[in-house]
Amino acid sequence: MSLKNFVQISRKIVCVGRNYKEHAKELGNPLPQKPVIFLKPPSSYLVEGGGNIRLPPDRTSIDHEIELGVIIENKCSSIKPSEAEDYIGGFCLALDLTDRISQQEAKRGGLPWTLAKGFDTACPVSEFIPKTSVNNAENLQLQLIVNDKLVQNGFTKDMIFNIPYIISYISDYITLDRGDLILTGTPHGVGPITHGDQLNGKLFQTETNNILTQMCFTVE
Amino acid sequence: MALRNFVKMSRKIVCVGRNYTEHAKELGNPSPGEPVIFIKPTSAYLTEGCIRLPPARKEIHYETELGVVIGRGGSAIPLGEGGLHIGGYCLALDMTDRQSQTEAKQSGLPWTLAKGFDTSCPVSGLVAKEAVSNVKDLRLELLVNDKLVQSGSVSDMTFSVDYLISYVSDYMTWETGDLLLTGTPKGVGPVTHGDRLHGKLIDERNQQTLTEMRFSVE
Repeated sequence: MSLKNFVQISRKIVCVGRNYKEHAKELGNPLPQKPVIFLKPPSSYLVEGGGNIRLPPDRTSIDHEIELGVIIENKCSSIKPSEAEDYIGGFCLALDLTDRISQQEAKRGGLPWTLAKGFDTACPVSEFIPKTSVNNAENLQLQLIVNDKLVQNGFTKDMIFNIPYIISYISDYITLDRGDLILTGTPHGVGPITHGDQLNGKLFQTETNNILTQMCFTVE
Repeated sequence: MALRNFVKMSRKIVCVGRNYTEHAKELGNPSPGEPVIFIKPTSAYLTEGCIRLPPARKEIHYETELGVVIGRGGSAIPLGEGGLHIGGYCLALDMTDRQSQTEAKQSGLPWTLAKGFDTSCPVSGLVAKEAVSNVKDLRLELLVNDKLVQSGSVSDMTFSVDYLISYVSDYMTWETGDLLLTGTPKGVGPVTHGDRLHGKLIDERNQQTLTEMRFSVE
């Protein structure tokens, strides 16, 4: 099946936390020595036209986190960063929606982050962008606008761990399969969204200001 | 695709921690008010061959668990209706990098690498739903190098299978082929290279072994 349908093929969504310095600071987290890795299940995917973002049980708000997604072309395990490029099939824009209250409770209790990160619709994604359409993934700009206000505006060059390193690191523990999605972290500016909010995400190639994709979602 | 191929169909393996009181105690954990939920990626499945220890890790633990294979997906499943979504059962091991997990708990970090490494979810074949008249009559046993190390009764679970299916479905939609691991009884411990693990799922009413599985540690 074509990678355009990665949402149907993915067997996992692997996410990296605290991968932008300013974002780690804004949440009062120490800078990581190694990537912080967690999963979202494929049941959390949301595509445009597939409905609205739905808040998890007992919550009146959740946090937005705009991220660059990397889609894996071919199965890989224990690969070196220098080999990673060959395994990338394409990119997308994504939101790593987070139940921040649940996440803080999990952190305090030493418990898993799963329900805080993995609820239904917690992973809205844009269309698939083929690798050939992206000049340089290390120089992209991510923007998120909530109700016409620019709330996040970040650059992938500010990632602490770059994409080849992340793919290599994950693949040492977890075999990546065709269609799997990797979310590469969010820049600073995370904050709450609630019922009725309109989200508009954009991905640009920084040198040319070319828009690679955009996506719109509403919170139910 | 037939449910006996659930390993190829699953898009998630949802696991429950601390679901047997004695196991919570042995690890010094409080018994939870709500189920402790985490996921393993499907790349963790192992159906035959060797369990491989993750890079540079010494303390990997076995945890024998009853698996429930979802036969019909759903969300917001009412209590009492979980059973309608069960397609079958299996025996499984929730292999855990205990050292990694302890570090994650101390720093408030995710459990993912501690629980989700390749081969951390060895499973038996599917046991048909009809083969189990009452899930509470099931017993899990694990032998390591011929020594019985775990023996627990499903009736000792804190949260029942029905409750867990319903609880998880309030947050995450179940899909056909998904696997639910329902927690481990006491007796967890480390494995090392060359160890032979032999698990059994037994129906205590008639002492019938419903399924067995054998794996060795590379």
